[in-house]
Amino acid sequence: MTGLELYESWRRLGAKVICRHEFAKTGLTFSAVMPLPLVVPAAAGLLAAGYFLEDISAMQVQEGFLITYHYDSTAHPGRVAVRALADARGEAPSIASVYQGAEWHEREASDFLGIRFIGNPNPVPLLLPPDFPGRPPLWRAEGARASLAALGLFGQAEVLDPAWEPIVNPPAPAKEEKAEEAKAEKAKKGGAS
Amino acid sequence: MTSLFVNPFHFSTISENPADMLGDFYSNNFEKKRVDPDSMILNLGPQHPSTHGVLRVLAELHGEYVLRAEPVLGYVHRMHDYMGQVKTAAQFLPNTGRVDYLHPVAWNWAYVGAMERLAGLEVPERAEYLRVICCEFNRIASHVMWWGAFVLDLGGVTPILYAFEEREKINDLLQIVTGSRLTLNSMRFGGMGGDVDDRFLRLAREFIPWMRERLKMYDQLVTGNVIFRRRLSGVGPMDEDLCRRYGATGPVLRGAGVAYDTRRAEPYSVYSHFDFDIPVAETNDCLGRYLVRLREIEESLKILEQALAQLPGGPIKHPKAPKATWKAPAGEAYFAVEGARGKIGVQVVSEGGKSPYRVKLRSPGFSNLSLFAEAAEGTLLADALAILGSLDLVIPEIDR
Repeated sequence: MTGLELYESWRRLGAKVICRHEFAKTGLTFSAVMPLPLVVPAAAGLLAAGYFLEDISAMQVQEGFLITYHYDSTAHPGRVAVRALADARGEAPSIASVYQGAEWHEREASDFLGIRFIGNPNPVPLLLPPDFPGRPPLWRAEGARASLAALGLFGQAEVLDPAWEPIVNPPAPAKEEKAEEAKAEKAKKGGAS
Repeated sequence: MTSLFVNPFHFSTISENPADMLGDFYSNNFEKKRVDPDSMILNLGPQHPSTHGVLRVLAELHGEYVLRAEPVLGYVHRMHDYMGQVKTAAQFLPNTGRVDYLHPVAWNWAYVGAMERLAGLEVPERAEYLRVICCEFNRIASHVMWWGAFVLDLGGVTPILYAFEEREKINDLLQIVTGSRLTLNSMRFGGMGGDVDDRFLRLAREFIPWMRERLKMYDQLVTGNVIFRRRLSGVGPMDEDLCRRYGATGPVLRGAGVAYDTRRAEPYSVYSHFDFDIPVAETNDCLGRYLVRLREIEESLKILEQALAQLPGGPIKHPKAPKATWKAPAGEAYFAVEGARGKIGVQVVSEGGKSPYRVKLRSPGFSNLSLFAEAAEGTLLADALAILGSLDLVIPEIDR
C-alpha cells in the first residue's frame, strides 16, 4: 500500500489530523493523529499493508503524553507515523497483539514515562530495574513541558477534528502586541542614539 | 534508600509465595507462566560467554528443548534518551559513539544526520565521502568481529584470532581520522572533525585486496567446513512475516530473503553514487544470515574502492557549520542509516531550546532480539545459542 492509499485509509478509519511531510526535511512522508483506541486498528491495517514497526516513541507534553508509532515498508519505503495523545493518566491500548515486537517498545515507554499499555502481555519493567526508586526518568517538571503546538510536528496538515485546529494551526500572536513590541524597540534604539 | 518521589508504577520485588523467594523478580515473573510442571528453569547469563556481554535469557527447558524463553535486558542501561534531552546537541554527540561499540560511526551518523535534517544544514561533498569511507570500514570491522565471535559460540576457537587482525588494521586506519579506536566520534554537525591523509589513503587502498584474500581464507577455514554447515543449516528459520511482526532489519531481514537496505530504500549522503548489491540469503536459517554478512563485507569493499577513487577535494566542514552553543530550530526530524545490525534511527524533537526536547534512539539490535522468544521456542538449547549468535547482538546498543 502506498502512502496515498494509507492517507485515504486513515481518513476512513477516523483520524483527527492527517499530515503530509517533506521527507528530505523531516524523515517522514505521512503522519496521522488518531484517537487513542484507533491505534490498534491502524496498526492492523499497516501490518496487512506490509509495514513493519520501527519504534514507539513517547514524550510528555502539556496536553499529556504524545505516543508516536513509526512504521516503514520494505516494498514502498517511506516512513509513516501514527500519533495518539494519551491524557495525563498515561493509559494507552497495547498493539502487541498485532505487532508482537511492540511489547518491548511499550515496556520501554512504560519505564521511561510511566505510560501503562493496557493489554501488553508482559507488563514488567524492561530496561529499568523493577524496584527503581523515583519517578519515570523522562517526566518533565510542570513548567518545562512544551505544548504540542510549539513542537511543529504537523507539516502540511488536514484537520478533520475541529478540536485539533488550535493545536495544528496555532493562532498567530495578536498583531497589536507585535506592533507594540516593535514600537518599544524603536523607542529603545531611538533613546540609545 | 528513601526517595522524594513515589513511583506509582513501582513493582514490588517481594513475591507473595515464600517458595518463589529463591529467584529474583524476573525469574519469579517467568515462573508464573510455566507451561510444564516438570520443566526446569535455566538462567542463562548475565555472565555467560554466549550472551556477548550482559544479556540474560530465562529459558524453560524440557530436557534439552526450550519450551519458552525470555530475554531480560537492562544490565548496561545508561538512559541515553535522558542524556539527549538534558545535554546540548554537541555535548550529546560523544554519547552516540558509545551506544554500539562495534559500529559507532553509524550511530554518530544517525544523530548528526537527524540534527542536520532538523536544522537544514548542508554538508560538503568531501565530508560525505569521508563519512561513507569511515562507516564502511567500521561495518567491515563489525562484521569480522561478529564472524569470529559467532564461530567461537559454536565451538571454533581459532577464527576470532584471525578476526582480530583485520579489526586491528581497520582500527589503525580509523584512528587516523577519528583519533580513537573504540568510541569513535569524528562527525560534526555540518561536516567532519578529521580529514584523511596520504598514509590513510595508501593503507586503505592496500587493505581492500588484502581483505579480499582474507575472505577467501574465511571460506576455506570456516564456510566450506562440512561440520559447520551442518551445524547451522535449518537452524533458526526466520521468515519475512516474523521479521515484519518484530521489526527486524539488517542481515536478519536480508537473511529472510528481503532485499531491504536503508542505504537504498532511504538514500542518504552519497550512497546513490556507488554501485553495490544488496545480498540476500537463499535459506532463512542461521547459515543464510552468516552468508549474508560475509557477502556484505564484499559489498562494503566495493563501495570503499569507489569512494576512495572518487574522493573529491574541498573543505570537510561547511563554513556555516554551527558552533557549540548552537540552538536547533523547533521541529521534528527522523534520520535512519544502515548499521551493521540493521536500521539505526534517531528521532529528534526540538522546541528551539538549548537541548532537544526529545531524542529517541531506535536500535536495530533491540528489535532483532525481540523475536528471539518466538524463534527459540521448541529448539534445542544449543541451537537457541546459535540463533542468539546469528542475531549479532551488541548489548549496550539494545539496552542503550
